[in-house]
Amino acid sequence: MSGGPSRLPEGALASALSQQTERLSHCVHCGFCLPACPTYTRLGDEADSPRGRLHLMGAVVEGRLDPASEAFQLHMDRCLGCRACESVCPSGVEYGFLLERAREVAVSARQPSLVQRLLLGLIQRPALFLPWMWMSRLLRWSRIPALLGRGEAGAGRPGPLRLGAAMLAASAPPSLRVASFTGTRVQDREGEASGEPRGEVALLTGCVQDQLFRRVNQASRRVLAANGWTVVEVAGQGCCGALHAHGGRLSQAREMARRNLAAFQSAKPRYIVNNAAGCGAMMREYHELLGEDARELSHRVVDISSLLAGEGRRPRVGDPLAMTVTYDAPCHLLHAQAVSGVGEALLASIPELELRPLQRAEECCGGAGIYGITHPELGGEIGMDKARAVIASGADVLATGNPGCMMQIGAHLRLLGSEIQVVHPIELLDESYRSAGLYES
Amino acid sequence: MSQVTATLEPSLIRTLSGIVGERAVITDPERLLVYESDGLTQYRYPPSAVVLPASVGELQRVIRTLHEADRPFVARGAGTGLSGGALAVDGAVVVTTTRMNRILEVDVENRRARAEPGAINAHLTTAAAPFGLYYAPDPSSQSACTLGGNVAENSGGPHCLKYGVTTRYVTGLTVVLPDGELLRLGGMGQETPGLDLVGLFVGSEGCFGVVAEIEVQLLPRPEGVRTLLALFDSLEEAATAVSRIIETGLLPAALEIMDQATIQAVEDSVFAAGIPRDAAAALVVEFDGIEVTLDAEMAAAREICQDSGAREVRTAAQAEEREALWKGRKKAFGAMGRIAPDLMVQDATVPRSRLPQVLARIGEIGRRYDLLVANVFHAGDGNLHPNLLFDRNDPDELRRVEEASREIMEVCIEAGGTITGEHGVGLDKRKYLPLVLSHSVLEAMGQVKAAFDPDGRCNPGKVLPDEYLISTKDPR
Repeated sequence: MSGGPSRLPEGALASALSQQTERLSHCVHCGFCLPACPTYTRLGDEADSPRGRLHLMGAVVEGRLDPASEAFQLHMDRCLGCRACESVCPSGVEYGFLLERAREVAVSARQPSLVQRLLLGLIQRPALFLPWMWMSRLLRWSRIPALLGRGEAGAGRPGPLRLGAAMLAASAPPSLRVASFTGTRVQDREGEASGEPRGEVALLTGCVQDQLFRRVNQASRRVLAANGWTVVEVAGQGCCGALHAHGGRLSQAREMARRNLAAFQSAKPRYIVNNAAGCGAMMREYHELLGEDARELSHRVVDISSLLAGEGRRPRVGDPLAMTVTYDAPCHLLHAQAVSGVGEALLASIPELELRPLQRAEECCGGAGIYGITHPELGGEIGMDKARAVIASGADVLATGNPGCMMQIGAHLRLLGSEIQVVHPIELLDESYRSAGLYES
Repeated sequence: MSQVTATLEPSLIRTLSGIVGERAVITDPERLLVYESDGLTQYRYPPSAVVLPASVGELQRVIRTLHEADRPFVARGAGTGLSGGALAVDGAVVVTTTRMNRILEVDVENRRARAEPGAINAHLTTAAAPFGLYYAPDPSSQSACTLGGNVAENSGGPHCLKYGVTTRYVTGLTVVLPDGELLRLGGMGQETPGLDLVGLFVGSEGCFGVVAEIEVQLLPRPEGVRTLLALFDSLEEAATAVSRIIETGLLPAALEIMDQATIQAVEDSVFAAGIPRDAAAALVVEFDGIEVTLDAEMAAAREICQDSGAREVRTAAQAEEREALWKGRKKAFGAMGRIAPDLMVQDATVPRSRLPQVLARIGEIGRRYDLLVANVFHAGDGNLHPNLLFDRNDPDELRRVEEASREIMEVCIEAGGTITGEHGVGLDKRKYLPLVLSHSVLEAMGQVKAAFDPDGRCNPGKVLPDEYLISTKDPR
């Protein structure tokens, strides 16, 4: 029926999961996670649910299931890692943590797909990553992806070329139709940040964010400065390692985390600000990879929307932006970091901006790091559902705070022929500040 | 009963794949491991296959194919059941309804809704909410459990104290009998001509066939709701308050008790409701109905709680507070994983007047067997849920859980109660059934079962003890 203990990988790798018996045991099989899981709700197979995957992990630990088996490989691989299950788990099962250990066991038992190995390999090596990104930007500039990636409602599933083109096109700067502002400026209100000096922060510039979304990093620096934060540049930082950790390459992720730990520890900023939710979630969990040494740093990591609009804080007010916006909370902010409402609060601080509700905003967009590329079929189905919900909101702009989500949702909007623009929430605040002349000094 | 997985013949797999598509037939024994348990993890019965039909037509053809191949089968929804009712005994084929999950219609004028069996209970209320309507039966697992499972188990929930259980709301069913025949039972009217087969099907624990479509009655949202939280220094005092509230003639919408172990597990979770951790028991009393009556009812309940020894009585002033309280209560079972790796949720009913004594006896049984028992239950219905917490890797503890469970059942029966309130008999309580039902009643049940399932292929090994199963041929 299933493999005996002898078929488990030897030594340390098997123990990656075996050491987690205690964490696994918290699952009592209540099934409350099932409806929160995007893969389960679409496939109906319990093996594609959080409870099912935990059961398979348990079977590996018990020696009843070979990690090289099709069952373990398929179902661990098919998880988005969105961690929506953690937000509804009464027993507090640390699913994301367990998934990464399970994937470490899975990829050491059997090599993952070529696409996955290629993508993770490229990101890890600057000598390959930078030219790749340079070419991507050149291609994006040519506007070929924008033409290639445009579809129409009712069109079938795109091929890899069209999907890739649409994703790349979606990373381009948005064209926001903002009527130039001529009315009365809103005066600073009590309780809002004014621009008074508050302390030093550092920005994680990231990998893809730095290469394809540099404008978001620049907007972040300006907005932070306008709110009184001194942004210090931290040399020696790099990719956060999240994609590698999610893919089960924990040793590589650890290496990347260690480099960032050293870089940021020497800079000693008050906060390490992230504008990519996936990277923020990863850095906030560095201590789980690197041990107690990293805990202090992990606690100083904060998402930019949290820093500006969390816990009742209100960002400085700029000019009105008369536009309709809907917001999709990145899963790694809402579920992995358990931070809710801040993206909405940040957008609501912009005068005259109308925030439209988004149905099933708590559900993953299917981008999930590189999932949209490695699992185009299921990721595409989830992405299409998200894009349709965005269209149904009636908004002209979708704001979301993670590069993967921006590219996935933007791509699927394009593939449906929609003109809805995709932005990072901070870009809108930046636009509001620019219009108000906050940057003219 | 065997745990051996009997593999399916390749020709049968081909036929099933032809009906539902290749991806909706799972036969790899390792992928099937996930289906070996439902919400009750003491038992492991891996199925021989899982089939996931997506429509009534597919469901009917799957069941007919299994009939022609003489294969036992069991229907499964979300697998949240707590009596092992959806487990594949005898290598049965699991027919999962999760892809049939649509709410088909909300008929506002007639206050009716139609849904597929895999639709989630809470989704029905979400769909009806814009029209000021809701679906009353609210099992604690309502955010995940399916309406098909609710029909099979005749599910209850906290608010069934005032509103009654599932059977009161099911007005029509489309069912597939074990031979693949499709029947439409009831529909629209409260009363249907002829024998009440809808009533017979609700609560049949998947032993008569598979539900393919469900028609239910919806209720208008009550005008007002008031919720009170009373904290006690002993579980018995809280139970006494419950008996007195019922005695006075008040009819709360819900009367729920959580003991200290449960309160602490909930307060540690994402569903923390702000209940003080040092309280020995928390009693939730809710009234709903027309506004003018509510404050008087609340005042009366408050007084009774104080007279019964409550150290504090709070009122949930805001809708959010009430919601938090209910979330905490309803997710309590799931939060038990914070206390121990495994739990055995018992389900028994006793006369409400006997609650204090029975709870004391359960406490004593727990101490004697050296087991942690967490109580969270529908006190107003006298429906107890002692959660016996354990670690399955400790064989001695497992044995003590088994023995303590039996003693708890005996105590409840002795007090004039019965062995299940809402979770069903399924696999787990089958052994206790002869303790509460006479030989002739069990025989009558065997005859009814045989009328629907003459070959004994539909949910084998459940509810009735083997000796009461009449079948034209012995499937075992």
